[in-house]
Amino acid sequence: MSAFFGPLDANGRVPARQQTRVASFLISAHGALARRFALALPLRLESAWQTELNAQFYNESEIVSLLLRATSWTPDLALGYLATAWETTWFPAAVDGFPDQSLALAVDLATFAHAVHAGIRPAALLPVEANANDPFVMALRRVEFESGRLLQAQIIFLKGESLVPFRDAVSSALERRHAEVRKLWREMLASIDISSDENGAKS
Amino acid sequence: MPFLNHGSYRIRYELNGPSDAPAYVLVNGLTQYAELWAAYRDALIARGFRVATFDLLGQGESDKPALFISQDDQVTALHLLIQELCNGPVFLSGISFGGLIALRYAIAHGDRLAGLVPMSCFAELPPQLFLLGNALRTGLILGGTSYLQDLLLPMNVSDQWLAPVLDRLDSVKRQGWLVNDVYALQNLMESFLDFQPLTPQLPSIGMPTMILNGEFDFLTPRALHETLRVQIPNSSLVIIPRAYHAFTLEKPALTADLLARFAADVMAGRWHGNKSVWIAPEEAGGELMPFPAGYDHLRAIPVTGAVA
Repeated sequence: MSAFFGPLDANGRVPARQQTRVASFLISAHGALARRFALALPLRLESAWQTELNAQFYNESEIVSLLLRATSWTPDLALGYLATAWETTWFPAAVDGFPDQSLALAVDLATFAHAVHAGIRPAALLPVEANANDPFVMALRRVEFESGRLLQAQIIFLKGESLVPFRDAVSSALERRHAEVRKLWREMLASIDISSDENGAKS
Repeated sequence: MPFLNHGSYRIRYELNGPSDAPAYVLVNGLTQYAELWAAYRDALIARGFRVATFDLLGQGESDKPALFISQDDQVTALHLLIQELCNGPVFLSGISFGGLIALRYAIAHGDRLAGLVPMSCFAELPPQLFLLGNALRTGLILGGTSYLQDLLLPMNVSDQWLAPVLDRLDSVKRQGWLVNDVYALQNLMESFLDFQPLTPQLPSIGMPTMILNGEFDFLTPRALHETLRVQIPNSSLVIIPRAYHAFTLEKPALTADLLARFAADVMAGRWHGNKSVWIAPEEAGGELMPFPAGYDHLRAIPVTGAVA
């Protein structure tokens, strides 16, 4: 197993089987985020912070749209049960330690978004030889770059003053979400012959 | 590869060299990883040392706490690593952020150290460094790890180092980009948000201390090292000629030689800090020169100084 995509074809393109599975995972995760942001977004914005919800919703949708168009898709029979496992994991999860249910739901959404934006680095799978002009390669770079920016909203919220009294509960929920998302990411990568150690480090 | 356990976190470390030899423990700076000490490992082992390196929490292959990384946790990780060593002399050195962690360790566990070498280091966040740190953090947030590297590289190394690698800068940055995550670097940088100056505690650092500062370091300039020299009783300040902030990357042979000579002098009882100021040689093995008497070592031009 390699730590990177490959073997690349003569034009420096990632094999379609690897493209299909990685793009499916990312579409599942970012699609779930888009749905949850859409549900949290009121028709008319009433607070300044809700403008960020709007931005998160459209950025997640853009990532899904980009991957749908940039990926060289190939039939993949395993996707049925893989996607079921992924989608089940993205369900809202109970977060203990919060007196207010709406706050608990917001924390759960933020921890899920943090885990996806921070813990998943698709561009780090690209070997040096990957063709920079290939749309899939560019899409992965863009997804990783945009994730780093989207992440800031989650960091500000989770580190914010309003959650200081619940810091232990937040940290515990966040570490759990990171572990869940990383486990699925690692397993999916292993299924297409890409190794990723527990911390995502590679050389 | 071995890991230390601190609570639920794992810290990746490496020990090399004879287990009963005096040890050097080396602490990384921001965006760095343990392999960057490879040249030091080889040079110090050849001089009879055991060498301990590790990835700070949040960097390299150590765990990356998702939301907060406290500097106290870094000190605890370092303490766990030093406990892995035998009971012989331990010399501790760190660069930049790693130098700060080394200072904190020396304040908390000084009795375990035979000597300390803070490099490109600081005990306070004066306005310039505070604002530079904030700008670097904003750069990381807006442009990712790669942009932070783009900002740090020209600030931290010389034209002589950059010129031969200019057409392959992406490959120079690649490993640092691969092993560092935006959120983890951001957590490391945000561990300074509630930073309290260490200056009042510096006089408690009783062990021999050699402070290394690049001549042209403008990220952590001379004045920050001067605080260490003035406050740490048994210290001396050694200026590395023509060096910038990251001289450990640029001048490994010279720096490893200085580390080895310092430890040898301490163990032989020859070391006398005296808060003196020295100029390092240009190359490994050369003689250190006392800073010329009558001149102010805090100035870049030779003006007659009033500094004691």
